[in-house]
Amino acid sequence: MGEAVRIAIAGEGGQGVQSVAMILTEAAALDGKEFLYIPNFGVEQRGGVSIAFVQIGDEKIGAPKFKTGDIVIALSDRAVRRMGMHVGSETLFIYDASIKDVEDDLPKNAKKIMAIPALETANKELHPRVFNVLIMGAVIGVTKVVSLEKAKEAIEKKLGYKFEQNPELRELNFKALERGYQLVAEMGVA
Amino acid sequence: MGIIEGEKKAFMTGNEAVAWAALVAGAEIMYGYPITPQNEIMQYWTRLAPKHGRKFLQTEDELSAGFTTIGGVLTGKRAFTATAGPGNVLMQEPMSMAEAMRIPTVVVVQQRGGPSTATVIYSQQEVTLTCFGGNGEGLRVVYSTSSHQELYDYTIKAFNTAWKYRFPTFVLADGYQAKMRESLVLYDPEERGIEMVPTEPFVGKPGMPGEDRPPAHLRNTYNIEEELEEVLKKDIQEYEQMAPEIIEYDEFNTDGADVLVIAHGVVFRSAAMAVRKLADEGLKVGYFRPITLRPFPQEQLRQAAAKAKQLMVVESAYGQLLKLVKDNLYGMDLPIHTHLRPGVGVTPEEVVADLRTVLEGRED
Repeated sequence: MGEAVRIAIAGEGGQGVQSVAMILTEAAALDGKEFLYIPNFGVEQRGGVSIAFVQIGDEKIGAPKFKTGDIVIALSDRAVRRMGMHVGSETLFIYDASIKDVEDDLPKNAKKIMAIPALETANKELHPRVFNVLIMGAVIGVTKVVSLEKAKEAIEKKLGYKFEQNPELRELNFKALERGYQLVAEMGVA
Repeated sequence: MGIIEGEKKAFMTGNEAVAWAALVAGAEIMYGYPITPQNEIMQYWTRLAPKHGRKFLQTEDELSAGFTTIGGVLTGKRAFTATAGPGNVLMQEPMSMAEAMRIPTVVVVQQRGGPSTATVIYSQQEVTLTCFGGNGEGLRVVYSTSSHQELYDYTIKAFNTAWKYRFPTFVLADGYQAKMRESLVLYDPEERGIEMVPTEPFVGKPGMPGEDRPPAHLRNTYNIEEELEEVLKKDIQEYEQMAPEIIEYDEFNTDGADVLVIAHGVVFRSAAMAVRKLADEGLKVGYFRPITLRPFPQEQLRQAAAKAKQLMVVESAYGQLLKLVKDNLYGMDLPIHTHLRPGVGVTPEEVVADLRTVLEGRED
């Protein structure tokens, strides 16, 4: 039960939070790592904030849930407010720069807070539907828990059936992944 | 050819692990009624079962799921069901009958918050219910698992314990274990030298009853008090005889512990992490984990507790494991601290914080 990287991603239903967790953990498995992934599945799932708790490490993971994450990501205003409880002095808190009126709700005790223009980048440069994969790229950029190569393999494994019908989607997803990775690198975190 | 060739590492949910385990254990039929967080056991089973000639029956409620499981067993099928929360409450009537008639049913329980509908998420509040829920003496076996590997291992084992000793057997897990994904190794029990205890019908056996074979005489009704007492005495004696053969537990660093932490199920993982962290710092802390909650590892806990100065019980319930611990330590004079969180998960950090408070004597 060694120290694992603790990641919590939160957003609205439909933002693809759980898909990110599925692909990210698939990449970890392909990389020979151990992981533990638990979605919040209470009734709030139906119309509430969707949260994925992910831990990735070299050894078997200990407890399923954690109080404070190493990386906490919020993709909506409600998610920003909801995730404060999972932030501690060692937490890197990332939220989307397009979220309005949350300045007062941002955690006060985080190690670092970053607003990244993920939604804007996805909308302008790529396609809104790959917003979540861009977020995954950013997560990998700041944590390096898996390689981009394994992440691509995982995307292929999970979404390959969609690429068969529309091969352009593959490039779009891979670009989104790399763009997310770059985005945090440009901000000096990766 | 086996269902699983060799040893296969896989990442899956706990519910999926249970379905695979039942499949490789040779379960022939599952009866069930949907309730979160165990739904996916049924879901995965109904995907796997038809490919391997196994069956599934969805019943109208948990009373029926329990009774049909008994019915399946009576015809000699390796049968099981799964439930949670209010479903587990309804399950107690059929499981009392299974106790009375010594029917080897297997029930997987994924605990959720209680009482009543409460949350669909998680708790350890079905300990008392699963161990002692019937209108009897709790003559049943309850395994409390803490990981997907254990869910797999103990689901296989549950069928064998049930069919060998003929007491209803439960695998007690929770919503976290049900829904989270982590790794485990799948295997065919035969390839590991685990022999599945053969099943046999309780009714409709060949031959003339009373001539070729003793008549099947399955009763859950008695006319006079002494008649019942005689049957129960025999059942209790056989239960107590069985206990030392099936009791399981885990312990660490119990010698001269300033604090011995007692936890079970998924909470044990947090407790163990906390204890190991503080032990690494040179502090005298250890843990004791009952794996069988029924029968309880009484002698083993008493031996560990005798070497400790204080105890701390940690659970996601308000004193259900605590009751078992107190009952089994009767007569021993030891302070018991608690970390009781009904219906809420426990993190290692919280246990570490409480342990430090106790170790430094700051607790009032």
